[in-house]
Amino acid sequence: MRRRRRRGRREAPMDRISSRYPEGFRPGRTAAVFLVLLVLCLSFAGCGQEAKKANGQILRFYTWKPNQPEVWEEIVRIFEAEHPGVKVWREIGPHSSTSFHDLLTQKLKNRSKYLDVFLMDVVWTAEFAAAGWALALDDRFPRTEQSRYFANVIQANTYGGKIYGVPLYIDTGMLYYRKDLLAKHRLTPPKTWPELVRQAGIITAGEPDIYGFSAQFKQYEGLICNMMEFILANRGRLIHPETGKAALADQPAREAVQFVRNQIIGKTAPAGILAYEEPESLALFVQGKAVFHRNWPYAWEAANDPSRSRVAGKVGIAPLPAFPGGASRAALGGWQLGISRYSENKELAWKFIAFLSSPRIQKLLALKASLAPTRKDIYDDRDILAVCPQFREMKRAFVSAAPRPVSPLYPALSNVMQRYFSRALSGAAADINRESLAVAAEMEQLLTLAP
Amino acid sequence: MTIPTRSVHCLAPRRRRERLFAAALLFPCFAFVAVFAFYPIIHSLYLSLYRIILGLPGLSQPFVYLENYRQLWGDAVARHALANTFLFVAVSTTCEMLLGLAMALVINRSFRGRGLIRAAVLIPWAIPTVVASQMWRFINNDHYGLLNFLLYGSDLASYQAWLADPTFAMAAVVVADIWKTSAFAALIILAGLQTIPDELYEAARLDGATAWQRFTRITLPLIKPALLIALLFRTMDAFRVFDLVFVMTQGGPADATNVLQFYGYKKMFAEGLLGYGATISVLVFLIILALSLVYVRFLGREIMEERP
Repeated sequence: MRRRRRRGRREAPMDRISSRYPEGFRPGRTAAVFLVLLVLCLSFAGCGQEAKKANGQILRFYTWKPNQPEVWEEIVRIFEAEHPGVKVWREIGPHSSTSFHDLLTQKLKNRSKYLDVFLMDVVWTAEFAAAGWALALDDRFPRTEQSRYFANVIQANTYGGKIYGVPLYIDTGMLYYRKDLLAKHRLTPPKTWPELVRQAGIITAGEPDIYGFSAQFKQYEGLICNMMEFILANRGRLIHPETGKAALADQPAREAVQFVRNQIIGKTAPAGILAYEEPESLALFVQGKAVFHRNWPYAWEAANDPSRSRVAGKVGIAPLPAFPGGASRAALGGWQLGISRYSENKELAWKFIAFLSSPRIQKLLALKASLAPTRKDIYDDRDILAVCPQFREMKRAFVSAAPRPVSPLYPALSNVMQRYFSRALSGAAADINRESLAVAAEMEQLLTLAP
Repeated sequence: MTIPTRSVHCLAPRRRRERLFAAALLFPCFAFVAVFAFYPIIHSLYLSLYRIILGLPGLSQPFVYLENYRQLWGDAVARHALANTFLFVAVSTTCEMLLGLAMALVINRSFRGRGLIRAAVLIPWAIPTVVASQMWRFINNDHYGLLNFLLYGSDLASYQAWLADPTFAMAAVVVADIWKTSAFAALIILAGLQTIPDELYEAARLDGATAWQRFTRITLPLIKPALLIALLFRTMDAFRVFDLVFVMTQGGPADATNVLQFYGYKKMFAEGLLGYGATISVLVFLIILALSLVYVRFLGREIMEERP
């Protein structure tokens, strides 16, 4: 008897629900209501677009989430104040350069007219130019103006004799170190990688809970930069500049990879570094848990900001180490401003680019966001050097920074190399000799498609 | 469909009106499927026969017959990704079915607060996958992750970098998937459990059947169709895994979590190899199609047998 009552109660709601439909539900009317709602929604959406256009010009700027958002807000405010009626819409893409690339090219592939100005990583020029996505800027950005910028950065923005981007800031790998810890053991910043490993060993032996080195070794574009620096420092290459052939199977390149696997990953650096991009590796350093740190110039500001860093004021900066017999060469990074060929606001887009790359905005970005200017003469500016003494050290690295291979198929080449580096570093079983021959062959295949 | 000829004549006007009406009602659905399912599939097939490289418009779009498929056949990375995908599908689906069955059995019983538990079980499934993936990425973090804290507490030296290790990274992705979608299997199995009348259990109990016998002789056979449906959905869904990998590992380290869908995405969107990327999509489509055909045949027979 009790069981039955309980069962009855359990089924009751089901009955109520199913019996409600036949009475109140009139399919025709419901459908009509939905249709009206749909039409209303659509027309409102349409109105919205029109209203915004009528108000003035909108400039759509595709950018990533900056490390200092307030600085970018200030810059956009200045531009809007100087150009009444213009509204800059910033669309924020992902932090990772690879993901940013995937989303941006998606818009360009679709020939979106809702895109005027975009940020370009230094390695995309060839692809964006060959695919016809970026507008050639030669009339607006003549040679005389180009000569005010670092030559290697201008070179990286040029493809087939035409220029496609205006350099906004320059990046190179730098070595950050803990001044206090090195001084404690009477050490000077290491000039070679083996020396760095030795110093890290000495320092970490006496300090609890601290690692020797932190950098970026996740399977993504940053892995290429980090590994290229090791390879170049050992006089190796990714691709021979003269012959255009893949060079990863050459001895210097193999030795460098071997060194990173045997001495860095899981030894001087934590094994977790294989999952690190810039933010994670920087976090380790600013928490005081790493002696040495490889990062781009922006890390200076972050590491010395007492509100975000436990090591503020204890940070030194130096060029990256080399290998004995090699020379330090950092990877050239940095971001450029490009105009979409499908933009309907090309003139305004250029005004915005000219504004962003002007000396005063580059100075502002240098002072407030620690982004390194691409204009050479800013490095002689006393105001800048007074606030950013680190630029004196950095300039030497900027001038000699090495670009990554230039090819319209660079993203494919990069993925092939990322796969190889990640395999070689994370699997102790991976045979570097064999794998490097395989990756070189795979790269050759891509290079024959696009010489 | 065959209609006996003699009835057509007398029923014609009404029949035709009804069929027109039915066609009108079906049209939106059909149009939707045509635009969002058939067209992309056909278009992918078409793209897969061309060499299209976005970075090289100078190549134009040569028709290369089955060259992309030949290349895919010899592609070691794709083979590795295929193996990863099958591993992911097999482990995650098996665990989800078992866990889902257990969860369904628990929430099918009546106890105080059952409504609350039922809702709670569904929460992981209701969370967007990207959010859940990000959460699991944090849980697996080597310095501030919850997993390390639970395992090692304040013994910081033992903390592991789970996502940096090829084996553990794959395991982490599988666990995240199990956590997220077991509830879905549970929901479908629960629906099956609800259709079993209590009288069957009562009779079995009177006959002296043990709990285990009641489970294997009554519950399992009667929820078999529900189990198969859950299995079908879970397998197909697991095969299309993408977002977990995209957020948690990006296919790394050393391609240990590189699954087919992610590899296809990389080829298409990152490298701009539209033709080759489409070929990978077609492969995924064919595998899922084959799987579902097998399941549907199996499933159809099961349901026929159970419901005479």
